[in-house]
Amino acid sequence: MNACGLFIRLVAVPSLLLMGGVAHAGKTLYEAMGGETVLRSAVAHFADNVVADDRINFTFAEANMDKFRQLLFEQFCNLSGGPCQYTGRDMRSSHVKLHINNAEFNALAEDLYIGLGQAGVPYRLQNKLMALLAPMQHEIVTK
Amino acid sequence: MRLPRLPVGLVVFVLCNVLCGHAALAQLAPYESVLAPDSGKLPLTAGFNDVDGAGGAGLVPWALITGYGTADSWGANAHYTAVQLRDFRLRSYGVAVGALDRIEISATRDVFDVTGTALNGLSVAQHIYGLKVRVYGDAVYDQDSWAPQTAVGVEYKKNSGISDSAAVGLPGLVSPTQLGAASDTGTDWYVSATKVYLAQSLLVNAVLRYTKANEFGLLGFGGDRSRNRSVEFEATVAYILTRKFAVGVEYRDKPHNLGVDNERAAWDAFAAWTISRNISIVGAFVSLGSILAPVTQQSRDQNGAYLSLQVGF
Repeated sequence: MNACGLFIRLVAVPSLLLMGGVAHAGKTLYEAMGGETVLRSAVAHFADNVVADDRINFTFAEANMDKFRQLLFEQFCNLSGGPCQYTGRDMRSSHVKLHINNAEFNALAEDLYIGLGQAGVPYRLQNKLMALLAPMQHEIVTK
Repeated sequence: MRLPRLPVGLVVFVLCNVLCGHAALAQLAPYESVLAPDSGKLPLTAGFNDVDGAGGAGLVPWALITGYGTADSWGANAHYTAVQLRDFRLRSYGVAVGALDRIEISATRDVFDVTGTALNGLSVAQHIYGLKVRVYGDAVYDQDSWAPQTAVGVEYKKNSGISDSAAVGLPGLVSPTQLGAASDTGTDWYVSATKVYLAQSLLVNAVLRYTKANEFGLLGFGGDRSRNRSVEFEATVAYILTRKFAVGVEYRDKPHNLGVDNERAAWDAFAAWTISRNISIVGAFVSLGSILAPVTQQSRDQNGAYLSLQVGF
């Protein structure tokens, strides 16, 4: 195997394959997902899933779920290019007292995936939103 | 780089848990003890088992650590894989353990039977013991970074020899060294880099392997054409269709050390389904290229079906 062949396989082929995933021009992720109606529905399903999920619902025992839903909507809307301001605290200070571990963080992610699906957001758009949220693992998981 | 500290951390964790005993453990919720499996990774992210038993897809290892344990815990799995090619059949079975999302240990046995040509009935087998250590990054969480999750691995392979050779008129053929292999044991070293491009729903994985294994080690190590290791390239690209289902292609270069084998690259197209964190299935169309063509007088590509079952936590 020569160096040229190695370069083509290592760099060129993955790059070409990635170009197929470029987002549709002009439309924000927020709009593509269906805007406020769909995102509020997804957040509502997510909150229901979390409350029903024995892996993590104890971390929400003292939470104000109306506020939780509103802040999550604001955050997802803002992150996905929608016309919203997030009025909540930063991820680290809002989670540090909960001592979230990796399994709990992933359980949250799973419940959100399911909630987005229940609201009718297609899987590839779910992943686009998740791509914006995934790095928060570094701030949220403190245990 | 945190790597050198972590094996010590593991030992301390284990010792502490053992010394504290069951009474102390019982006071902790299950997820608070590193000894209790948390099955906390997202579906698909534990990977499957490749033909060498390492966490990966079918032919190629990933930098992901096997099992559904997160960095706080551990996981393990067992796999059985059957590959029916035109003139050969490969069966692979083994166990693998992943700890702290850092270390992976695997033990696998491959059995390779000739099911066609004049050599029909011949069989060869090998044991593979693998160790993989994640050295950097997280393939899923680090969406804000270009850097892939990176792991280094080593696989010690011991060929168990050729059996049933008398039945095909080759009495006395008991070892791949009689076919020109330089040794019946060998060690592969590899570096694997895996990145999930979540916004594109893609997993991309590239591996450089330093190896002298002939046909994965089934035909021994080194040979009359070259006794030495060479660097070989391997890759996986997978499109994630749902939370539990992905399709992809894999490619694996192999050395060409043996005069009696026109060894070529292997590739496959696969579909992987994680039914739950306890059970996964991979099906593939696989091509291992020509195998032992100068001996069997059959130069056709060895294409066929690959089916793998993984159970674990």
